Amino acid sequence: MSNTELIRKLRAVLRPENVLSAPSELVVYDCDAFTVERHIPLAVVFPRSTEHVAEVVRVCSAHGCPVVARGAGTGLAGGCTPPPNGVVIMLTRMNKILEIHLRDAMALVEPGVLNLQLTNALCGSGYHFAPDPSSQGTSTIGGNVATNAGGPHTLKYGVTVNHVAGLEIVLGDGSIVQIGPVEDPAMLDLARVVCGSEGTLAIVTKIWAKLTKNPQACRTIRATFASIDDASQAVSQIIAAGIVPAALELMDRGILDAVEAAFALGVPPEAAAVLIIEIDGPEAGLDSLLDQVIALCRNWNPGEVLQAKTPAERELLWKCRKMAVGAVGRLSPGYVIQDGVVPRTRLPQVFRRILEIAAKHRVRIVNVAHAGDGNVHPILLLDERDRDLTARAQAASREVLEECIACGGSITAEHGVGIEKIELMEKLFAPADLRAMHRVRQAFDPAGQLNPGKKFKAICQ
Amino acid sequence: MTTITTSGLPLEQTVAPTDEPAVATLIGEACKSGTPVYPIGGGTSLDYGPQPVRPGIGLSLCHMNRVLDHPADDLTITVEAGLTLAELNQHLATKQQWLPIDAPESVRATVGGIVVTNACGPRRYAHGTIGDYLLGIRAIDGHGEAYAGGGRVVKNAAGYNLPRLMVGSLGTLGAITQATFMVRPLPTHSALVICDLPSFQQAERLLVSLGHSRTTPMIVELLAGPAQPHCPLPGMPETAVARLAVGFAGSAAEVQGMGNVLCDEWQALGADGLTSITGARVDTVWNWLSESPAMLQMNVLPSRLVGVMERVAKLLAESPLQAHAGNGVIRIYRPSPPVPLLQKDEGSFANLVQNTLRPIATAAGGHLTVLAAPAGVELTPVEIWGPPRPGAALMRSIQKRFDPAGILNPGRLSFGM
Repeated sequence: MSNTELIRKLRAVLRPENVLSAPSELVVYDCDAFTVERHIPLAVVFPRSTEHVAEVVRVCSAHGCPVVARGAGTGLAGGCTPPPNGVVIMLTRMNKILEIHLRDAMALVEPGVLNLQLTNALCGSGYHFAPDPSSQGTSTIGGNVATNAGGPHTLKYGVTVNHVAGLEIVLGDGSIVQIGPVEDPAMLDLARVVCGSEGTLAIVTKIWAKLTKNPQACRTIRATFASIDDASQAVSQIIAAGIVPAALELMDRGILDAVEAAFALGVPPEAAAVLIIEIDGPEAGLDSLLDQVIALCRNWNPGEVLQAKTPAERELLWKCRKMAVGAVGRLSPGYVIQDGVVPRTRLPQVFRRILEIAAKHRVRIVNVAHAGDGNVHPILLLDERDRDLTARAQAASREVLEECIACGGSITAEHGVGIEKIELMEKLFAPADLRAMHRVRQAFDPAGQLNPGKKFKAICQ
Repeated sequence: MTTITTSGLPLEQTVAPTDEPAVATLIGEACKSGTPVYPIGGGTSLDYGPQPVRPGIGLSLCHMNRVLDHPADDLTITVEAGLTLAELNQHLATKQQWLPIDAPESVRATVGGIVVTNACGPRRYAHGTIGDYLLGIRAIDGHGEAYAGGGRVVKNAAGYNLPRLMVGSLGTLGAITQATFMVRPLPTHSALVICDLPSFQQAERLLVSLGHSRTTPMIVELLAGPAQPHCPLPGMPETAVARLAVGFAGSAAEVQGMGNVLCDEWQALGADGLTSITGARVDTVWNWLSESPAMLQMNVLPSRLVGVMERVAKLLAESPLQAHAGNGVIRIYRPSPPVPLLQKDEGSFANLVQNTLRPIATAAGGHLTVLAAPAGVELTPVEIWGPPRPGAALMRSIQKRFDPAGILNPGRLSFGM
């Protein structure tokens, strides 16, 4: 079957206007937010139903053509980069919230629903969808499932996998399987295995999202420190004291410069790092917990500790944190945001190493971190036109992740492996571990139709 | 040491290795000879699933019960699979930490066994189930090869979630040797509010109210029928048909504050017969609520739970019923002393399950599972779990790849090989 024949068949399934095949239309789908590797797809299709997705997969399968499902394309690791000669299945038009059941604390949504769209729909209900990646205004829930996305508040509430009750999925042979939403002791926990599989096991066409009751009250503070070391010591000590805040975020001076320029947060210029700490729960006892947190910070000589006094002040703090990466454009024409994770006690060590690595490779690195989870996001500033700088930044990136592995951590906490980190999988996992993963992949997708070349390298057994 | 009864298993011999390489060697050799291997933890769930028939080797994990690494300041712990939940929590308590899930018979139930059976208890309302805490695993596959998944950090998107794949796998994808868990700070205080209910409608009204309560309960249990043995609570008054038990944990101020708030909220809804329990007695009641093994389990939508509970209470008047009401889980206990389950003779246990109870669960969007059939009753997988699900072929395909020789707990998986 020729490519022309494939496209003709896809048009027959979806109607011509839902299939893009002109080179000028395809070029914008050649990568996601990881721009180093690009492939122009054979076609981009816009299904509107599960049956459409299944039929597209069947047609592509018959043609021997790999497919990749794509939401908003905000992925940072190349998970949505089209496989060579592949078809992109855009799920952005499957964007309806189908049902909300507050009594069952569950919502049924299509994969193209934006994370924030669900949260907004729940406004005033007393419930929310807990995963809150910084991209929540643009990223889709299907994408959140694919990468097992996190966010600041996952420290207390858990990542996407903890908030999925069930999935409807399309397998590589086009069959449709529903898992959940009611827990089924007869079945393996397949829905949660699909979470974080980056589109390599199945295409998710419906999600039963668990809803979380809003906390009764919260307290949000911002504390400044004279060094990133002091700030990260404070983080480790708060966790070690057995306090699990709702969120515990770190920003260093470098990123604060960008944030100040963009939002005028008002952090004193002498502060080298700031922690944003939020605790929540029942009103009773919250103030004494806050006092404990502040006392632990005081062990590390904070410059100032300010509490958000109004919802607007809290909003500003969170806006600054969530828009921080976007503000990096004020510092540099380009950047790479890394995603590594270490045991929480190793945070001071990993930040020291990041400073050394930056100096060694002559790359400027600024830092944000979901510090309470041990999840660091060093941002390496670069200019893609400067090949030498870009190469140094990539070398520095790799060294940071190798340091995370050496600390007993992992190469990604929430962004995924995609293409970017595929080489590092062999450093993190033993061959037998990768073989075990490969078995899972073969069971779901024996023909290798779904997003090949991502997550880990193909294994010949 | 507790003696583990394995009389139901067709064992030619039982071995108890002391380390992972020994487990790997054992399974590797069993693979070559096609001999079944039956992993055994605390022996609390050996009645669950079809009873194995092929003679084989019992693989006891009783000597693999060490704490391997407890970096307390990271709030994680790595242990061998044969450690019991009670031992794990005793160890964690020395650092004011715990694994905040519960499972029946925690003194015997091992962490490996809890993972592969996905055993749970009342605390799942606030704290979820074992899979929510399982960060990493090591296991031996059907070839005798060790593999690992996940890691020792609390957030990890590298690789597939092999730890989650182990949850509920009944030992068919590998003999688990090690597990790493995220742990939580141990709350210092707990309290319970008990409410006797004149009707199931009132139960539903109070459960709905929890959706916008100013409290954050840890457990929400609905009890009906006769009490399980050793009930530490006073008997229900004649006028009550069921009873709600809501528990809180946290600081002294939190649990006292929430207990008071809940009583106020419920009194405003016409609840009377409210009892608050604080202090050491809470633990007694809590253990009673979490420790007993059940005979049958229903998983239904939470919104349908009360209706299902009412029907089952009428059908099985002699069986104690307990629901993790916020999670849609109903547990049906064996009558004590043993009496026929039905008041009238309506045929066999299998018939009761297939034709009476399972349709009720299915109509409520859920499932009925036989956790332990009465002595002498042999059930088929369809009788235990219901008809094969659409994902059954996928499960078999996974199982075949991890254990091509079919030697790991053969015949146990619901719709397996």
